[in-house]
Amino acid sequence: MEFTGYRREDGRFGVRNHVLVVSSVSCGNGVVEAIGRALPEVVTVTHAYGCGYGPSDLAVSHRVLSGLMNNPNVGAVLAIGLGCEALKAQSLATSVQGKPAEALEIQKEGGSAATIAKGVETATGLLKALNAQQRVSAPVSGLVVGLECGGSDALSGVTANPAVGAAADRFVAEGATVILGETTEMIGTAHILKRRCANPELGEQVERLVNGCEAQVRATLGPLAGMVITPGNIEGGLSSIAEKSLGCITKAGTTPIVELVDYACQPSKRGLVIMDTPGFDIDSMAGFAAGGAQLIVFTTGRGSIAGFPAVPVVKVASNSRTYNNMPGDMDVNAGSILEEDRTIDGVGREIFDLSLRVAGGERTCAEVNRSAPFGYLKQGPTF
Amino acid sequence: MKSNALRIDSKDNVVIATRPIGKGDAVVMNGEAVCHAAEDVALGHKVALAPIRSGDAVVRYGEPIVQATRDIGPGEWVHVHNTQPIPGDLRE
Repeated sequence: MEFTGYRREDGRFGVRNHVLVVSSVSCGNGVVEAIGRALPEVVTVTHAYGCGYGPSDLAVSHRVLSGLMNNPNVGAVLAIGLGCEALKAQSLATSVQGKPAEALEIQKEGGSAATIAKGVETATGLLKALNAQQRVSAPVSGLVVGLECGGSDALSGVTANPAVGAAADRFVAEGATVILGETTEMIGTAHILKRRCANPELGEQVERLVNGCEAQVRATLGPLAGMVITPGNIEGGLSSIAEKSLGCITKAGTTPIVELVDYACQPSKRGLVIMDTPGFDIDSMAGFAAGGAQLIVFTTGRGSIAGFPAVPVVKVASNSRTYNNMPGDMDVNAGSILEEDRTIDGVGREIFDLSLRVAGGERTCAEVNRSAPFGYLKQGPTF
Repeated sequence: MKSNALRIDSKDNVVIATRPIGKGDAVVMNGEAVCHAAEDVALGHKVALAPIRSGDAVVRYGEPIVQATRDIGPGEWVHVHNTQPIPGDLRE
């Protein structure tokens, strides 16, 4: 099966061809935003980090921003730094392989106004260069699809997540990669995930990851750790943490787990991959995007509107009320399994087909709305 | 017949109420009545499809989620009042 995408030098295919303008440190955010106002066609990425923290957070920052710049959906990059920060714009630009990447430092360029002017000029040139590139036929096996859920409700594990699982199985059958994240939402299913791993060593790794996450939750939340299954969950019909977490991991379908990757790292195998990401949607999606996901499928019950910079996010509502209540935010109504007697597999097929059309250029609700919040995982203290 | 219940995996011994089911109502899956509700069951809650013996696993998503603490008959509501977490699933 095929879609049309942008071929990159490393053999991967982008489903978009964006110019990404990124701040290396939050001090540069205003300049990045000004370039974005002047050139609405660019995708801007600003954040609250880039300086004042320890080596492990610095490494994750570099990995996330560099990974996003190297995402195949990005055709060219402009990194904006201040000059005295820990995470240098030039170091990010240098990490970009096989596509144009420029860096500007505000202190060196002579201040905000000068950097904005030069940034607009540089980005204009990059946009022009990308406009000349054409979509070509690309194999579906080249897709990496992140699986996310957020703002879940009692029906997420009944309709939307099983339907996404059916779609995930179709992607894997085509040779593509799907990434299951949100380690916190795997608590209680370590023994099940272990059994689903392609080999025993991987099974041990996954079990250790999930049990370690559980220990961390207990250490952080103390007596509140039991809140991972809340009174509201029980009212909604969930009888155990295993049942709740199964409702989350069912998004990944039924194929064997072939690899476990660290946060924001690129999978090396095709098939179902687990990435260690937090439950918080935005930080989790940053891990997928930095790991090379060109597409994210996102289920929601209450109605999350979050997309992501440069990566189309397909929103799947678990119920018709949310779908109808938030027109223009939801791409698929899995609530139709309840009201219209559709099957889980039928909606899975709809999600798969829509995802391929989105890969070929059809815009998702979040893209139309320009809803693209950005953030990523930070664990250590800020100094 | 309009469905009011959904089985997520073919191995499951419970179905999920996709709309509120009243006591005595037919539990309808894929347009076919599979049993009758022994009590009121709220949306999103589980109904036993087959007899589940005390100590047996309740299976949803094709996986054991809890175990029955007493015998549960088809049509009965399945929840925390007649099940418990499977020992060893979650370390306390």
